[in-house]
Amino acid sequence: MEQNKKSAGQIINEKKFLILEIIIVALITAYMLRGTYPSLILCFICINTIAVTGLDILFGYTGQVSFGHAGFYAIGAYTSSILSIKLGIPVVISMIIAALVSMFFGFVIAIPASKLVKHFLSLLTIAFGNMVYIFLSVTKDLTNGFSGILNIPNLNLFGFRFKSNQSYFFLFAAVAILVLIGKKRLIHSRFGRALIAVRENPHAAAGMGINVKYYKVMAFALSALLTGLAGAFYAHLIGFISPDGFNNNQSNVFMTMLLFGGIASSFGPLIGSTILTIVTEVMQGFVRYQMLLYAIFILLVLFCMPNGVSGVIANIKSRIAKRKGKKVEPRA
Amino acid sequence: MVIRLIIGALMIGSVYGVVGIGYGLIYKASGLMSLAQGDMLMFGAFLGITFYKYLQLPFIIALLLTMIIMFMLGMFIERVMVTKLIEKGAQTVYIILCTISISMILQNSSMLTWGSNVLQFPAIFNSASVKIFGVSVAPENLLVLGVGIIIMVALQLFLTKTKFGISMRAAAQDEVAASALGINVPLTKGTAWGIASMLAGAIGVVVGPVFGVYMSMGAMIGQKAFAGAVVGGYGNMFGAIIGGVFFGFLETFVSAYLTSNYKDFITFGILIIVMILMPKGIFNEEVME
Repeated sequence: MEQNKKSAGQIINEKKFLILEIIIVALITAYMLRGTYPSLILCFICINTIAVTGLDILFGYTGQVSFGHAGFYAIGAYTSSILSIKLGIPVVISMIIAALVSMFFGFVIAIPASKLVKHFLSLLTIAFGNMVYIFLSVTKDLTNGFSGILNIPNLNLFGFRFKSNQSYFFLFAAVAILVLIGKKRLIHSRFGRALIAVRENPHAAAGMGINVKYYKVMAFALSALLTGLAGAFYAHLIGFISPDGFNNNQSNVFMTMLLFGGIASSFGPLIGSTILTIVTEVMQGFVRYQMLLYAIFILLVLFCMPNGVSGVIANIKSRIAKRKGKKVEPRA
Repeated sequence: MVIRLIIGALMIGSVYGVVGIGYGLIYKASGLMSLAQGDMLMFGAFLGITFYKYLQLPFIIALLLTMIIMFMLGMFIERVMVTKLIEKGAQTVYIILCTISISMILQNSSMLTWGSNVLQFPAIFNSASVKIFGVSVAPENLLVLGVGIIIMVALQLFLTKTKFGISMRAAAQDEVAASALGINVPLTKGTAWGIASMLAGAIGVVVGPVFGVYMSMGAMIGQKAFAGAVVGGYGNMFGAIIGGVFFGFLETFVSAYLTSNYKDFITFGILIIVMILMPKGIFNEEVME
């Protein structure tokens, strides 16, 4: 227990660092917010963080792999746009309904998915993602096919109309921060510990009285809820959606962001989506070479840090702790 | 009509089967999952069209050259990338990320080299059609079927009759015991990845004349082949073939008699239902935990 107690000086030191980090991030953000395009990137970062956090709850903490999260993303985006355009429902409510609809699909998928492991599960999720994509591209009456849905209305909250990217950013950032905090609280609760137990060993978890199926289904639903919400945000931010943005590649992008940032870590989704979103945007300039460079970048990073960015951070932390002569807990 | 459909279904089914065998080989040999198989097929098709159309080589030589290059590519990926990553202590999921980026690299480098349009593969045979059971079929379709069957038989003979094939299976069953008996386990693993990509490349070359060669041709085929492999029982060779042919039939008949717009929707829907009813596949293959 001795090692766990921190001296007063250390706590102040850690707090100082945290405050310093926050100030730096805030300064960069404030600088970026001056332009329309940089603030669009910031919005993307927030949206991706929310979606990737959803995937992290499912994959990182519960150990259920998914290569079909673009399906939930698409459900969120399309439901919200269709509801707000065709039925004229206020955007806030349509966003919430969209997230709930996505959550419902999560439930439906999770009931067969909770029985499956590994390849079967990845196949099921791939199949789900493809089904959503195909449905969107061929059901022209509802989704307008490949031409996509245009003129999706802006968000209107308590009489305040969100028009600029900057105003959207503040909302998205608030939600993203809430989601990150919520995830941290969730993981340290009884629910989160049950999820981790299910990931580590489903049989042992069942033996300890954890309802494995219930937790797997709940993780799926929660994950779908967050990803669907991110999809709805995306649709209203951009104002235009078409099936092309929701194909298998998008699922892989989410997975890449999660793995890049590091699975089952508090800030992994944030780090991964921030770096990869910025890298993607910077590489827009290379047009034809964009995806090639992106892939090579990921490979290089994989070779330099085989367990994601937060794996490296954990390594450095434990090295510093070792140098100070402290006991190091093995990484979970 | 029905006979033509059956031939078409067998053709596309053998494509899925051959690509699916590749997934199974990789899984058996190294317990890993590669998501790049479909793009291996695409890359093989591009190599084949380059040798056959632009370098004017005879078709059989173009096919063999492609197979050799694809074999080396698969070997390279296993020996240089996957093994190095595992040695560095990467978790298995990061290998999947690695194969995702490999597939992106393959797709985009093909696009940069050969352009993003559909390339037409010139006809291989002189006659435009062959009569079988009274219906005329393009000989290229039969070529796909023939090459698929030859590959399956040859692979089966290789794995059961040759010394190296038997040692590959031994290494897949128990690495430690196999290496204690003097089997070069890293070599067998590399060979398995090599063969997997070689098979995909070969079938890509023969499928090129049927569908045309383009950048994203591998994506859907790769996913359906994976579906076939899983439904048949992941890691089981016969399972992969039967699963692949099953999906070939399903897809062909659904698009002929029900709806062609929703054919893939229905295919994947039935896949999900099959998985719920038979979570272990047709051949009850055990899944490694």
